[in-house]
Amino acid sequence: MGSEFDFSGALITYISVIGSLLFAIITVSVAGSFVVGGKTGPLAVLSILRLAVEDWLSTSPRRIWAITKLTILEAIRRKALLVGVVFAVLFLFAGWFLAQPASDPEQQVKVYVAFVMRTIAFLIIPMVLLLSCWGIPEDIRVRSIHTVVTKPCRRQEIVIGRVLGFTAIGGLLLAIMGVVGYVWILRQLDAKGRERLVARVPVYGKIAFKDREGVDQKQGINTGDEWMFRSFIEGGTKSRMIWNFEGLDAFNLETADHLPMEAGFQVFRSYKGNMDRGITCQILVVNPDTEKRAVAPLVTSRDQAGKIEQTDNAFEVKEFRENLLQLARRVVDDEGNELDLFKDFVSKGRLRVEVLCLPTQQYIGAAGPDLFVRLPDKPFVVSYAKGLLGIGLLTLMIVVIGVCASTFVKGPVATMTTFFIVLVGATGRAFLDTIVDAKWVGGGAFESIYRIFAHLNPQTELPSTLPFKVMQLVDGAGVGFLRSVRYLFPDFKFFDLTPYVAYGFDVPWTNPVPPNSGALLPSLIITAGYLLPWIVLGYFSLRLRELEAK
Amino acid sequence: MESESVIEIRNLTKIYRDFWGRKKVRALNQLTLDVKKGEVFGLLGPNGSGKTTTLKLLLGLLFPTEGEVKILGEPATNVSKNERIGYLPEETYLYRFLNAEETLDFYGRLFNIPAQVRKDRAKELIEMVGLKHARRRQLREYSKGMTRRIGLAQALINDPDLILLDEPTSGLDPLGSRDMKDLIDKLKEKGKTVVMCSHLLADVQDVCDRIAILFEGDLKVLDRVDKLLVDEGVTQLKTSQLPENVIREVEEVLKRHGASLMNVDHPTSNLEDLFIKTVRESKERPGQRHVADGKPTAAS
Repeated sequence: MGSEFDFSGALITYISVIGSLLFAIITVSVAGSFVVGGKTGPLAVLSILRLAVEDWLSTSPRRIWAITKLTILEAIRRKALLVGVVFAVLFLFAGWFLAQPASDPEQQVKVYVAFVMRTIAFLIIPMVLLLSCWGIPEDIRVRSIHTVVTKPCRRQEIVIGRVLGFTAIGGLLLAIMGVVGYVWILRQLDAKGRERLVARVPVYGKIAFKDREGVDQKQGINTGDEWMFRSFIEGGTKSRMIWNFEGLDAFNLETADHLPMEAGFQVFRSYKGNMDRGITCQILVVNPDTEKRAVAPLVTSRDQAGKIEQTDNAFEVKEFRENLLQLARRVVDDEGNELDLFKDFVSKGRLRVEVLCLPTQQYIGAAGPDLFVRLPDKPFVVSYAKGLLGIGLLTLMIVVIGVCASTFVKGPVATMTTFFIVLVGATGRAFLDTIVDAKWVGGGAFESIYRIFAHLNPQTELPSTLPFKVMQLVDGAGVGFLRSVRYLFPDFKFFDLTPYVAYGFDVPWTNPVPPNSGALLPSLIITAGYLLPWIVLGYFSLRLRELEAK
Repeated sequence: MESESVIEIRNLTKIYRDFWGRKKVRALNQLTLDVKKGEVFGLLGPNGSGKTTTLKLLLGLLFPTEGEVKILGEPATNVSKNERIGYLPEETYLYRFLNAEETLDFYGRLFNIPAQVRKDRAKELIEMVGLKHARRRQLREYSKGMTRRIGLAQALINDPDLILLDEPTSGLDPLGSRDMKDLIDKLKEKGKTVVMCSHLLADVQDVCDRIAILFEGDLKVLDRVDKLLVDEGVTQLKTSQLPENVIREVEEVLKRHGASLMNVDHPTSNLEDLFIKTVRESKERPGQRHVADGKPTAAS
């Protein structure tokens, strides 16, 4: 389970967007300069490009470090770190409102971890947004930039130095707050809660269903909930949920006496039954190549030496909590043959697991991530650090956008611009993609307005007369504009790694779960992809403007 | 032999425009002039005459509307020219949260100067501008004069060949002003080229070899100071003290040669000299003393 981040597709899109942008900018510049200045115009454009190349070739780490150090000193001496005091105060009193010693340890971990990570993000992000948007405009306003640009300091060194400086400030605060937050979480949790501080490492499979007749289906039964994240199978029928796992050979499972799995199924009871007991389920393991199948025995007890003592062929689903399942390695098939789970059922790293609901007229439901192979846990601090890294990358992105925006507009406008880009990138990017990729029904802005006033539903076809064609043409131009600017907005959903940490999972590098949520490598790649174009934009903005405060 | 031009300005025009590109003011109009290597050049003019605009065009802080500027043989927009330039802005726009040492270290790094050289040079310059006692204080605590001094130090951190000084003596007390002028003389002795703009005419007269006077963006005068100020129609003699009868005899002699004695008096020192002399004496001999009726009393 988990959709792979499409690196090659992303790279192709990236190259095509950057290439198109460069082509458009150079074409417009050459044409515009020719109109304004005749033959000397394009020569001037070439001269600017030559100077730009010279500037970039003369980049000096020492000068960049000078600007970085200046930025850090400026932030410290202007008391930007006071935000840490706000953090400390919040934590002094947060325990009053969040402490739930009697409640479920899992809930405690979720609440405390999410609180710490969200607080850190909500304190650092506005701080770096303001710092990065006001640094250069303030330098221009008080003209201290005159003493810098009249030295052999290149404009890109100013931009990079500023970006590094503000990021360092954000990083420093992040590290301090991260350590304080970690200690605070440990102190708030009781012993049971601390045991829950883990980073589970799941291997997800792809889910499929069979209906009561045993026919393949993409989805199970909808038990009445409109939102079909989980769908259900009916007990006592041929209906089952099927997970196809891949890549299991990459993990060293050969020495284990069981395959560790975890399930989080939902139950729908069509009659009350015995409420003290869960709904019974059974797991079948299937070799995807030979179709050899057997009921998977689940380990129920071990002796003191840790050897398997007892197994059971069924288990009761505990609702709203994790069901740890140990599929014993020794499997006996219907004919009484003793088989090995890893040798006889795992083929080329692939394994199929089928789940059946045993009681009739009862239902169990699941989505793809509700059953996974649970590899040995990592220490909680690993996922916590990865989660903080996600906040750090987000900080870097905001700093880059803020610094770049501040090179061509004043502080308040740069702040609004950056805030808008962050807002759209964090909340509206999926919506923007829906519109641009023509998945939005009901037409563009003008068509939608018309439909509202004419009381037409989105599916009704419009007359193909000239006014409607013009309206759709205008809407098309609007969509074209959105298409051209959508990549200006980084997709910030990849940066939100807090849910993994709060729910006790290791932060994945590539496979976000659910699909299109956060993952570390995509956020790293997005950051790297946006970094250079924004810095280059900032460079040209500073290079081509008169640095006189107006 | 004509000496090498350090600055070449050809038909330089600057028009400030508003956001919509409409012309607001013509700050500089077809300015053409050269500054030679090793000279102290003064740009004079009333407020709004285009002095600072010229300096900013030279530094690439502004872009010309028309014309061409070459500085040390390179176009003004080339950043590499800044390696050999020192610039003291009109107001000292330094980072006020840094102290003197940090300030010079920061600007030294921008010149890629190695750490030890930077440290030695900063120490030397801080001593030279008389800020050793305040080297660890943040610039926000500095007086205007002290800020000008550290501004001058940052302009010299790279031992530049060309120094551009915008109103170098503004905000300085007479002693600081004299120090600044002495320093400009020293720079000249070292073969450096100095361009300064000022509307303090006495300062310019004291230090500049050549001047240009601008008015409303137009160049009105460009020549050597001594040549511009000399009055060829008058001859001035200075002698030791003469008795009245000798003065009358001199007058007679002059009459015989068809000339007239226009003025006879005792030369006076200027207030600047008196002030500097008093302050220096006070430093050497501390204590209360005052001047009454032109006769100083002994220090108490």
